[in-house]
Amino acid sequence: MSETEAPAPIRVMVVDDHPLWRDAVERDLIQAGLDVVGVAANGREALARFPAARPDVIVLDLQIPAPDGIEVTAEVGRQNPDVRVLILSASGEQADVLAAVKAGATGYLVKSASREELLAAIRTVAAGDPVFTPGLAGMVLGEFQRLSDAPAVDPSEPRLTERETEVLKMVAKGLSYRQIAERLVLSHRTVQNHVQSTLRKLQMHNRVELTRYAIEHGLDTEDS
Amino acid sequence: MSPSPSPAAIAVENRLFGALAVLRVVVLVNAVGLNIYRRGNFDHPVAAVVCVAVMVLWTGVAIWAYRSPRRRTALLLVADLALAVALILLTVEVKGADFRATIPGSWIIGALLAWSAHYRWRGGLIAGVALAAADLSRRQELHQSDYGNAFLLVLSGTIVGFLCASLQQMAAEREVAERAAAMATERVRLARAVHDGVLQVLALVQRRGRELGGEAAELGELAGEQERELRRLIQAQDSVAPSNGTVNVTAELARLERLPGVTVSTPGFPVDLPALTARELVATARACLDNVKRHVGADAPAWVLLQAYPDRVELSVRDEGPGVPAGRLEAAAAEGRLGVSESIRSRITDLGGTAELSTGSFGTEWEFVVPRERGLGSSA
Repeated sequence: MSETEAPAPIRVMVVDDHPLWRDAVERDLIQAGLDVVGVAANGREALARFPAARPDVIVLDLQIPAPDGIEVTAEVGRQNPDVRVLILSASGEQADVLAAVKAGATGYLVKSASREELLAAIRTVAAGDPVFTPGLAGMVLGEFQRLSDAPAVDPSEPRLTERETEVLKMVAKGLSYRQIAERLVLSHRTVQNHVQSTLRKLQMHNRVELTRYAIEHGLDTEDS
Repeated sequence: MSPSPSPAAIAVENRLFGALAVLRVVVLVNAVGLNIYRRGNFDHPVAAVVCVAVMVLWTGVAIWAYRSPRRRTALLLVADLALAVALILLTVEVKGADFRATIPGSWIIGALLAWSAHYRWRGGLIAGVALAAADLSRRQELHQSDYGNAFLLVLSGTIVGFLCASLQQMAAEREVAERAAAMATERVRLARAVHDGVLQVLALVQRRGRELGGEAAELGELAGEQERELRRLIQAQDSVAPSNGTVNVTAELARLERLPGVTVSTPGFPVDLPALTARELVATARACLDNVKRHVGADAPAWVLLQAYPDRVELSVRDEGPGVPAGRLEAAAAEGRLGVSESIRSRITDLGGTAELSTGSFGTEWEFVVPRERGLGSSA
């Protein structure tokens, strides 16, 4: 790889059941020099096509014909954890967005986001960094708050450190990573790491919860 | 008088007859044992053996026959009751006129409860009266205890019948409620699909409008406004406030996003506060935002964050004044902004909370902490 050679374009797959919307997003991405390696109109197509398309990022609508965006996110994560999922939701319904993030999505945008915002989000997600809107940060904060209010069942349950809570709170208050780094006298990278780790803990907690549910309901034994 | 064919009611009846099958075996063993114990009392021992054999046989037949709802016909129930009555009446022939205990004894309870379970309280009453009458009609002399037993027979048949009816009714009601809940869920799912479609189109118009420019851009702007409006409506509807005088403050705060440049972040779950506390918090946030509009700019971005703890809520409103250095507060005081800030502060202290204003390169930020439950003005 020489210095002059441009890095390989980001490989993107677009999953949306509205053809007009899908085409518009696809056009924007191609114009911006991204490589659209596949499209799908529903969850079934998305899961069938993504292994061969090998995208870096899947731009995924939450409300698609079954399996829905949340299930697709979880399944993609199971099959290939290196593929990043960016949720693009029309309604931005809180419960759905939170469920998708818990299932493993790395970022979330509402569909009314501008072309520039979408492109920036795809680049961020492709680099492995989460795209947190202040709204999502508020929800994640609330979720950890709810968990710490509940009686501790398992001491190994992931909890946020004070620093992580502080960083997340600032994201929820609309500060950019750069501003947070400045205010807390940290490096930009450290701030990103904190945000990433809150997301990882949330997803880990989701898995712990699912496992506990499975054990309680005897789903882990063969004869249930 | 046939029971309604609701699947829930049939399920209840099946369970009752399942329990009755066990009971039939218990009372049979008891009756056979007693008859063996009193074998000396019989005038006609062979007839007694035949009677007991019939009881054993019929118990088996009844358990099999009642197991299927299809076989629970009037014929079966009449035969069941008739046999019990006949065995009581035959006692006098087999044991002699001076008998004390009937041959079937408590075995007749099987027939009685079958009538209660199938024909409810009327069935229990009819069967109870028939059995009691048969018992009393053949006795030479009526003891107090004989009358008492007969009375209990009639009473328990009726009460058990009534209880069976209540169980079936409750099961049927629960079934209706479950169906209604399932229908409501389905309706919500459909509404979501519809809303989602509309939101998609509005977002697309907005996006294309922006690209095309000119009049199309104006159209896109309009679509964008409607899109935000509809999205807020859906979110507000998701967190319908409970009707106990409390208000879900997250839904109320979400309405502030209607103001240009404002982003509202809240937990994903409803945060119910006393109506007055909620109103004051929202009014405080609005006052802060008005202040931002006046002093930073009409479209200046601002962020509202609500955090809910078991004992308190924390509200923060932040704007991004263009990197205002230290001394902003003094400048604000000079501009007469402190008057506004004092009125904001007093709203929160009236609720028993605290208000803090900080400023720096990150902009200006209000932070309010208001206790839950114990808020001074929460008696509304």
